[in-house]
Amino acid sequence: MILQFVPGGPLEMEIMKIRMGGKSGSTESGSTTGGTTQNIPQSAIDELKKFYGFDKPLHERYLIWIGNLLKFDLGRSYVYAEPVWDVIKSRFPVSIYFGLIGFLLTYLVCVPLGVYKAVKNGSAFDFLTSALVFIGYSIPGFAFGALMIVLFGGGSFWDVFPLGGFRSEDWESLSAWGKVTDQVYHTILPVASYMIGSFATLTILTKNSVIENLSQDYVRTAYSKGLSEKRVIFGHALRNSLIPIATGLGHAVSLVLAGSLLIERVFNINGIGLLGYESIVQRDYPVTMGILVISSLLLLLGNIISDMIYAFVDPRIRFK
Amino acid sequence: MAEEIEKTNKPEVSTSIFKKRWRKFKTLKRGYYSFITIVVLYLLSFILPLFVGRDALIVNYNGNYHFPIFKYYSAESFGQDLQGEANYRMLKKQFKEEDKGNWVLMPLYPFGPNENLLNELEGNPPHPPSGEHWAGTDDRGRDVFARLAYGFNIGLSFSIIVTFFAYFIGVSIGSTLGFFGGKVDFFGLRLIEIWSTLPFLYVIIIISSIIQPNFILLVFILMLFGWIGISYYIRGEFYREKARDYVSAGVSMGAKNRTLIFKHILPNSLTPVISYAPFAIVANIFSLVSLDFLGFGLPPPTPSWGQLMQQGLSNIENWWLIATPLMALFLTLLSITFIGEAIREAFDPKVYSRLR
Repeated sequence: MILQFVPGGPLEMEIMKIRMGGKSGSTESGSTTGGTTQNIPQSAIDELKKFYGFDKPLHERYLIWIGNLLKFDLGRSYVYAEPVWDVIKSRFPVSIYFGLIGFLLTYLVCVPLGVYKAVKNGSAFDFLTSALVFIGYSIPGFAFGALMIVLFGGGSFWDVFPLGGFRSEDWESLSAWGKVTDQVYHTILPVASYMIGSFATLTILTKNSVIENLSQDYVRTAYSKGLSEKRVIFGHALRNSLIPIATGLGHAVSLVLAGSLLIERVFNINGIGLLGYESIVQRDYPVTMGILVISSLLLLLGNIISDMIYAFVDPRIRFK
Repeated sequence: MAEEIEKTNKPEVSTSIFKKRWRKFKTLKRGYYSFITIVVLYLLSFILPLFVGRDALIVNYNGNYHFPIFKYYSAESFGQDLQGEANYRMLKKQFKEEDKGNWVLMPLYPFGPNENLLNELEGNPPHPPSGEHWAGTDDRGRDVFARLAYGFNIGLSFSIIVTFFAYFIGVSIGSTLGFFGGKVDFFGLRLIEIWSTLPFLYVIIIISSIIQPNFILLVFILMLFGWIGISYYIRGEFYREKARDYVSAGVSMGAKNRTLIFKHILPNSLTPVISYAPFAIVANIFSLVSLDFLGFGLPPPTPSWGQLMQQGLSNIENWWLIATPLMALFLTLLSITFIGEAIREAFDPKVYSRLR
């Protein structure tokens, strides 16, 4: 099963590259020849083309790109004039910081909440939190973030939180305590926006899973042999209910990259998402391609890890 | 004769199942009322110029009736001292002052979505909400409420169309994989896995940064990425149904593949389509809003919620630019989610009893 994923790697890049290559070729050469031909001598254009590697036909460029990729060389960024890998690497810490905190907090809040909701199914608490869940489900994370900025960012209401960014500009000069509080202030709103996206689905998933397990025969058996409610829920039902949730853990790898584009844009956080967005806007294709490749690889990796966790936590699952 | 009986019987049988589910759906008040509200609002939004718009419904000028909502009238044709099309709001005031028996019947909310109101309003845009402009104006002096109202129709139509086509593809592919199984299934699944690792928002942004997207192109692109989820469900349904006795009976009677697929298995496998469609619509509205927000969505000046939010983010002291579209989005998505939840419960009534 895992091996089947592997041929996916290069093949899928191929698809992307064909699509990308076609596009980067047409627009880039379109803009160099179409827009600026009049006042630039032909030799300079040729030189430019050679510099960016547009002097070769499409399929050749594509093969070169794949060849370089196999040597872990993603090319050089047009805008930053640095190797693409270095550009991307420099953005990793920020994205991982927000992605990881958001991810951990989501699981720490949603799983206990879902369990509690399932145990107290039908109670007032369940009803109230269900309302919250529905609200969370109907608001996109980035829109929530934008609203928070308007409310708390010092526009027309309260000026509590900074408008965005990773840290204040004078972060280096602050005291140790100042550094911590500054960082926390910059973290709260983006992380809240990260969380609202997966809050609803994860809570409901947990709740349904626990409810389903609570109606199983083995729970009845556990009760009938006189175990306390606590033992039944935490010792028996919960362990089985967490299987579908544990499976999602594998995707944490890609979550760090994937969902963040919009939120990083809203909060102006210099992470991978914003880098990808800027690279598209600035036509910095090596970076765009590099991010596509890395995020696809991470997604594949996430799938594999999910499968492994799945097989690990649930002995009934066996991949042939 | 046999065919005739089948023909007369079949609709009755299928409606009765549907009726049962519909009856169950109606008992789920939250979903049912949301459904009615959304359907009514959506239908009304097709005749929106009657309620929200800059063109007058009826103008009575010198004893003649004119219907500007259907026809273009220049300003001079009503004796107005303006260039281009007549301004019916001003005309109304003018007629009132003149008091010659001329009158203008305006829509309930007399502002258009793409109409620049700068020459009628004081101060710089965006203007805060007021009695006249319920949701204020945006940074180009256009009425926000009118834009929201027109954006509702566009957004919902968009996502319904995308969902329809994406599900069409998903059902076709899913049923092919599920019905034929074996090698088709194996290689098909691998291709789907590869396709699904593409980060779709990112790819759409790449595409729309290169070609100026229009409605049809965006539908097409979103459709290409929207079919994956449902194809898994349909494939699973087909596997399950294929093992049933009625399919074996059909095979032993020599039914063709086509008959088996379309007449026997497909109608029995459509439950996931109906129960997931509302959530797919929600997801597609999400996608459109995100794209518009980033500036890679529908071309301006299309009224769109995402574009308003983008304005709101760049003018954070003007809270209504973000609060009103968010509220509209929230209410729409919430009611569609309620509908989806109710449909799922009507179609798949799983009752879990706490055992103890």
